[in-house]
Amino acid sequence: MKKAGVNHDTLAGWIFLAPFLVSLSVFFLWAIVRTAWFSLTDYDLFGTPSFIGLENYVRLVSDDLFLLALRNSISFAAIVTTLQTVLALLLAVLVNSAARAKGLVRTVFYFPSIMSSAAMTLIFLWLFQRQGLMTSLVGNVINLRWIILSFVATVAGVQVLQVVLARRKYAEVGLFDPFFLILSVALGLAGAIVIRLGGWLPVYDEQLLISWLNTKEVFLFMPRTLWSVALMNIFTTVPTLMLLFLAGLQSIPGSLYDAAKMDGASSMQSFFSVTLPSLTPVTFAVVTLGLIGTLQMFDQVAILGAAAPLESRITLAYYTYYNTFPPGGSPNIGMASAAALTLGLLTLVIVFVQRQFGIKERIG
Amino acid sequence: MSKSIQGKLLLATAFAVGMAAFAQAQTVRVSGFGGSDPAVVNGLLNDVLADEIAALGIEVEYAPTEGDYSQFILNALSAGTAPDLFYTDIFWSRSIFEPGQAAPVNNPELAGALLPSLVDAFTYEGQLYAVAKDFNTLAVHFDKDAFDDAGVAYLDENDTWDSFQEKLATVQSSLEDTYGVCVVPDYARFAAFALATGWQPFNAEGKTVLDEDFQRAFSFYTGLVDAGAGVLAADIGEGWTGGCLGSGKAAVAMEGAWIIGFLKDAAPSMEYGTTLVPSDPETGDRGNLIFTVGWTVNANSDVKDAAAKLVGLLTSEKAQQWVLEQGLALPSRTALADNPFLMGDNKEQIANRMVFRGASDGNVEPYFFGDLGGAWLEPINSALNAVLLGESDVETALSEAQAQYDALQAN
Repeated sequence: MKKAGVNHDTLAGWIFLAPFLVSLSVFFLWAIVRTAWFSLTDYDLFGTPSFIGLENYVRLVSDDLFLLALRNSISFAAIVTTLQTVLALLLAVLVNSAARAKGLVRTVFYFPSIMSSAAMTLIFLWLFQRQGLMTSLVGNVINLRWIILSFVATVAGVQVLQVVLARRKYAEVGLFDPFFLILSVALGLAGAIVIRLGGWLPVYDEQLLISWLNTKEVFLFMPRTLWSVALMNIFTTVPTLMLLFLAGLQSIPGSLYDAAKMDGASSMQSFFSVTLPSLTPVTFAVVTLGLIGTLQMFDQVAILGAAAPLESRITLAYYTYYNTFPPGGSPNIGMASAAALTLGLLTLVIVFVQRQFGIKERIG
Repeated sequence: MSKSIQGKLLLATAFAVGMAAFAQAQTVRVSGFGGSDPAVVNGLLNDVLADEIAALGIEVEYAPTEGDYSQFILNALSAGTAPDLFYTDIFWSRSIFEPGQAAPVNNPELAGALLPSLVDAFTYEGQLYAVAKDFNTLAVHFDKDAFDDAGVAYLDENDTWDSFQEKLATVQSSLEDTYGVCVVPDYARFAAFALATGWQPFNAEGKTVLDEDFQRAFSFYTGLVDAGAGVLAADIGEGWTGGCLGSGKAAVAMEGAWIIGFLKDAAPSMEYGTTLVPSDPETGDRGNLIFTVGWTVNANSDVKDAAAKLVGLLTSEKAQQWVLEQGLALPSRTALADNPFLMGDNKEQIANRMVFRGASDGNVEPYFFGDLGGAWLEPINSALNAVLLGESDVETALSEAQAQYDALQAN
């Protein structure tokens, strides 16, 4: 009877698994096998594929465009994953510590993530016009640099003064005490306005034209175009990752913080010694998801289209697409398949290396 | 035989003939672009040619496609689900013709009725594979009011690059907020200058050489901004030269007849003129590009003959006359060159006439780059972009572009 029960359970298990196994077999395993086969042929969508060995892979590593795409993808993944992880964590801590309207704050910060990637890219295309909002923002900062510096100096000076005076009576006053900060910012603003109206510091009138997208310029080791895409990517991804961190933060027992406080730990020490270690599994998930997502980034550069030169926006995923549907040319499915497999393999290797030498899966 | 029996026999015969005709009716699946194109094709299929199509015993299933048409058709052909009759753009025609996906056009009469340059455009290895349905070339469209306000003579077909630049610079300096022309980093516009010098995209060996002639055109085109005759379109928030003209930000645009519909909507009260592109003062020639789309019969279709007949109807004089009178496209048939509609004096007719003339005046090349396709455009567009943005000088940009062509065409 018991044996029959086991068989029944096993059968039920297979039945439940069947739909997923079928879709996995067809859309993943079969697709991979087919792609691997195509990568060893000269397939062009129409003719019978002829076996050409590793020729596509040899051509791949000798293709400057592929090497550029590889460099761009790795740079993009490293920069975006790092920045979005740090920002998501900081945002989560900020939202978690909001005293009032926590739900509203969470919703506001999450808002960019509900926009579709295509819509967001179009909005950013407009923001990143040569004479667009981003350019005028940078232009204002440059033209008003002395006023801005005076504002920062006033805020810092007034804040330090207030804290120093207050600490004579209350030793525990923090450097960033919010009440003092409001007063400092208000005085800083008033000072900046007075300086501006009095004309005591120079204000420039430089008309800037910054090519955010349509440029071949490289900043550090990545095209400026991809830096702009990175900014857009971070803006849309951080809120989702913030939610993961938020869930992690809310699952940390309050007793750990109480114990740390009793041991005399400051807020900063609590953050580094309690919060960060407790969030290790979440951080691992966030970094892994980030690496996979950024290495396969495609839609945003595809929508950019002719708004940016090919070499400034090409990534491995776009290289694959570019070989499948070269504008005006014949499909090169062999090369595209080789590039797709290389991207898949690269993603696996990078995630594995990160897991081995970077942030671990478990609290250690 | 009684009359009633005779009547029944007649009825039966008529029914049988009718059934036979019905049985012979062949369904031809047709696809085309999305956007405004379905209005044209539906007009032809349902109104203009409905009787002729029915007389041929053809039933048409028309399904326009929004989005990237070349990707759609390549996928459909590969999967064996492609329509019997579809569009082929000259730009990506090689990807259809080379793998044998297009049925040859075996209709010398039809081929002979088309403009020779359009027949050449769709001929691959000596065989015609598509019938041009219409075409476009570049022409210069200008806002007459801007020229009047600036006190500058209108542009005309006697203009060379020098007088063109001089007139534009005067307009720009005379008018506040109006530039001469918008410049775009795109071979599809710059070619009008490059080809005018006699430069060819591919030399006898099939290689691209950016020679002195090319450099002269390149320097002139990219120098329009510094000469005070133009502005980079992106710098005034526009993506194409037509947008600059339509919004009144520039006095001149270099576009094809597609600008007519746009100006009707964007600037309905604008009095604009159109003339041929300016000529190179050294060679005295003009340059131009032909943009064209043709009807292609699917080589694997079961109804190739019916589809070919339908092509004949869709590109007939009657069909093209209707399309022309609607102001929708330029006819591909030589016979319509002297059509009274093209000879009219209203602004749309003049624009159509100039675009039509552009196909046979000077050094005209199809917008087609062989096996390289769009990859061929990258080096030139990239060089134009770099110089127009001030990121590179002409010599450096062209030297880089030449190196890219050498690598691209090494094999």
